[in-house]
Amino acid sequence: MKQTASIISTYASDVSGVCSALYELGGMTVMHDPSGCNSTYNTHDEPRWYDFDSLIFISALSEMEAIMGDDDRLIEEVVETALQLKPKFIAIAGSPVPMVIGTDFKAIARVIEKKSGIPCFGFTTNGMHSYLSGAGMAFEAFAQRMVDPADKAEGKHRVNILGATPLDFSVNGSVDSIKIWLEQNGFEVNSCWAMGSELEDLVHSGRADVNLVVSQSGLKAAKVLNKQFGTPFVMGVPVGLDCSKLLAERLIQAEQSGQCSTSFTRNVVNGEEDIVLIAESIYGCSLASAIEQKTGKNVRVICPLEGEKDILMPHDVFATDEVELMPVLEKAKIIIADPLYQPICPKDAKFIPLAHEAFSGRIYRSEIPNMIGEGFNHWFAEHIGG
Amino acid sequence: MIKIAVYGKGGIGKSTTVSNLSAVLAKNGFKVMQIGCDPKADSTSTLRDGKPMNTVLDLVRTKKNDFALEDMVTEGFGGVICVEAGGPTPGLGCAGRGIIAALEKLKEKGAYETYQPDIVFYDVLGDVVCGGFTMPMRDGYADKVFVVTSGENMSIHAAANIAVAVDQFKDRGYAQLGGLILNRRNVKNEEEKVQELAEDIESKIVGSLSRSEYVQDADAMHKTVIEAFPESDMAKEYTLLAQSILAECGREVSLC
Repeated sequence: MKQTASIISTYASDVSGVCSALYELGGMTVMHDPSGCNSTYNTHDEPRWYDFDSLIFISALSEMEAIMGDDDRLIEEVVETALQLKPKFIAIAGSPVPMVIGTDFKAIARVIEKKSGIPCFGFTTNGMHSYLSGAGMAFEAFAQRMVDPADKAEGKHRVNILGATPLDFSVNGSVDSIKIWLEQNGFEVNSCWAMGSELEDLVHSGRADVNLVVSQSGLKAAKVLNKQFGTPFVMGVPVGLDCSKLLAERLIQAEQSGQCSTSFTRNVVNGEEDIVLIAESIYGCSLASAIEQKTGKNVRVICPLEGEKDILMPHDVFATDEVELMPVLEKAKIIIADPLYQPICPKDAKFIPLAHEAFSGRIYRSEIPNMIGEGFNHWFAEHIGG
Repeated sequence: MIKIAVYGKGGIGKSTTVSNLSAVLAKNGFKVMQIGCDPKADSTSTLRDGKPMNTVLDLVRTKKNDFALEDMVTEGFGGVICVEAGGPTPGLGCAGRGIIAALEKLKEKGAYETYQPDIVFYDVLGDVVCGGFTMPMRDGYADKVFVVTSGENMSIHAAANIAVAVDQFKDRGYAQLGGLILNRRNVKNEEEKVQELAEDIESKIVGSLSRSEYVQDADAMHKTVIEAFPESDMAKEYTLLAQSILAECGREVSLC
């Protein structure tokens, strides 16, 4: 059955994506949804919940409020709370019920902003899209609204990391490793959207010379910053030593030429592929490049989420549900994927678990590897070997 | 780009009026897009000789996203770009949500950028009964709302409700009330009653249309009055109304 997950899990939704993207920035995020649904985000999609305070609320939308289209209680309570807590911004994110009744989040945000005097964003999330869509629209809105237009690049090899959330990179040190790797390669981290950076860092993103897009969720913001400041961007994650080296070169080239690019070096496959990898598109293409370079084997990336068609190879595929995934996996000999994909994989295939927080939440969190730079080599030696 | 939403009680003559306005403006060299926001999908009927056309929601329902912008539009009289939102089967689904989905799809497919119309008309079903019917007046859609009314009490009541809704939404950045269009039914004290309404809602009558057989005759021919009877007095009334509406939207032009 199409659009159905009867065996495998589903990815974190767009609402979680908004919350995750904005979690560390000192704002106040309100999910407009019936009460109870906040734990879906807080306890399953947010590993920082118990260690890092953030103003995350649920509106507790009632049946009668939905029927009557009563936005006033939401507006009043958000304004009252915001005036007490003084967040740096407010974000309201929709869910399926407001979507069905056509709630106008842009208008609600406008009213809240007028009443509270605090910048307010309204996101038309509806729970029907993945976290990449939600995080993407949050980062995009931030780039459009919060970044200081007076800034400009100063030729100091500054980089913004765009699209870093625990839903893709967990909290296993991967994002810190990306920052260290950038510094080791002569770059200065201007800001990280949005793990380990203050709001103020993001506000001055226009000072960067080049942007590094590490997941699909950072791409829209990268395009906004490219349009506004002319900042070029490179898509890629520094997985493995060789591919990391290439990514560093591409960042320098982009800085010099102003041209956007990717850092993927993939095999052109005419016959059958040796390895199938299910992953987010930018991370997946980066990891596939590293595996192909190390083994000479062909990797097919299956992207089960929103992604850019242009960065995939012709033999890669977008497949979003079980009906589409199972035929693609049928002949695979080696499959690298989140453990919750294993039940739909052929039993005679070698299954290499690669947990993805956005898919399996906290279940395998402790097993999610840090693949940045040399980290990939350790993982490779353990799971694929010679 | 001037974007106008036209509201009013069901059966008051919104589609007839809007189609004639589109025809006048197209005849005067403007690029016009008329979007019918009604499940009946008959807003643009007289601009396209009553011929059938795809509705946006039928396309979405049958083809998901696998269709082009051109599939959603039909070129009508004078090059008017005709769009019909469509909607669910009567008695089922949610017509208001349907309008939201259709207008979002139109935007997503780049309708405004591709056709770059000078004037867009949203011809909206009846009263503002739920959130979906405010969609055409939301930020990014219409800039001005015009309400068609006669002097009949039910029509005046509906027009007053629409005006209240527009006023309530002013903080939301929605469209502003442009004025009332008096579509005469020749009831007693008609002009006075509608004038009183205009004063109550702090607006004005931007134009009035006579009750004319030309309208019914043109409709029977599946044409607008502008196309079927271009020299008639009724055609002149539509021309004057179009001129007046454009003036309310900040565009002073002389139309013929």
